[in-house]
Amino acid sequence: MTKQENSNEKWDVQLRKGTLELVILAALKERSLYGLELLKLLHSFETMKITEGTFYPLMDRLKRDELVSALWHQEGESRPRKYYQLAQKGEQKLELLTSRWRQSVEEIEYIIQNPGPKAIKKTGE
Amino acid sequence: MSEREQIHHYLKDLSKYLSRLDKLSADEVIREIESHILDALEIQEQNGQQSDAQAVLDGFGEPRELANQYVEHMLKGTPPPRGFKAIQTVKKGVTKSLYYSMGFFGFGISLFLIIIGLSKLFMPDLIGVWSATHGNSVIITFSEHAYSNSTEILGYWLIPIAILLGIGIARLTKKVLAVLKESLQ
Repeated sequence: MTKQENSNEKWDVQLRKGTLELVILAALKERSLYGLELLKLLHSFETMKITEGTFYPLMDRLKRDELVSALWHQEGESRPRKYYQLAQKGEQKLELLTSRWRQSVEEIEYIIQNPGPKAIKKTGE
Repeated sequence: MSEREQIHHYLKDLSKYLSRLDKLSADEVIREIESHILDALEIQEQNGQQSDAQAVLDGFGEPRELANQYVEHMLKGTPPPRGFKAIQTVKKGVTKSLYYSMGFFGFGISLFLIIIGLSKLFMPDLIGVWSATHGNSVIITFSEHAYSNSTEILGYWLIPIAILLGIGIARLTKKVLAVLKESLQ
């Protein structure tokens, strides 16, 4: 791994700490996925490659916090799989986190777009 | 070791470390992870790759570490009282013998103090706290003869002080035990 890749990875890990919950809730919006499926979906994005060892305990916590619900389901001959979906509390949390996320992105973007030497002014002021 | 044995071994270890959870929760965790591993191996084969159980297991990490992540938040229930933060570390390795010896130790001291307090009440001349000359040592004793060259300190104040201290230590012990109990299997 090059130095650049390594530092990208570190940044991703830091950022994910706060956003992973939002990502998972958003990924489950209006769909029901089993663990491996959801993890593969996350892995299809470069910045969201978390390990199984991080993913499953997190899903377990979300379930205990009643943000998601889980149901074992068997399709045809395949082995039974545990499907996750958003619970009502999870939908509310998703809305809340989404709006906080958007606000953060806007604010960070604003600061990036307004370099010195002038003092920064918040929008609307 | 064959792949099947490798997986079996991993899940067995995991199940051992998950034993703090109730059986139903632990079984569900194992079942989900087993289903994931078998699915992942099937996908590898479907893609024409050589199936590699070790690579899949590596993604889950060491069984003990993985189990800890499940166990930690499940045991969070009641937070310890304020000022008990250090006990979080102790909690992780709580065994029955630590629990009982802690109880024995704490309540033992408490009982000892209360007995001293009560004894002073009934046998004021036999028990007390003496300070040896020059204040180099403090002696709590049952004695017919006061130590030579020493002066009794506290006097009858020993009664409330010893009893209250005893009650205080008993309450503290009770609180510590309540916190430790959560972590007992």
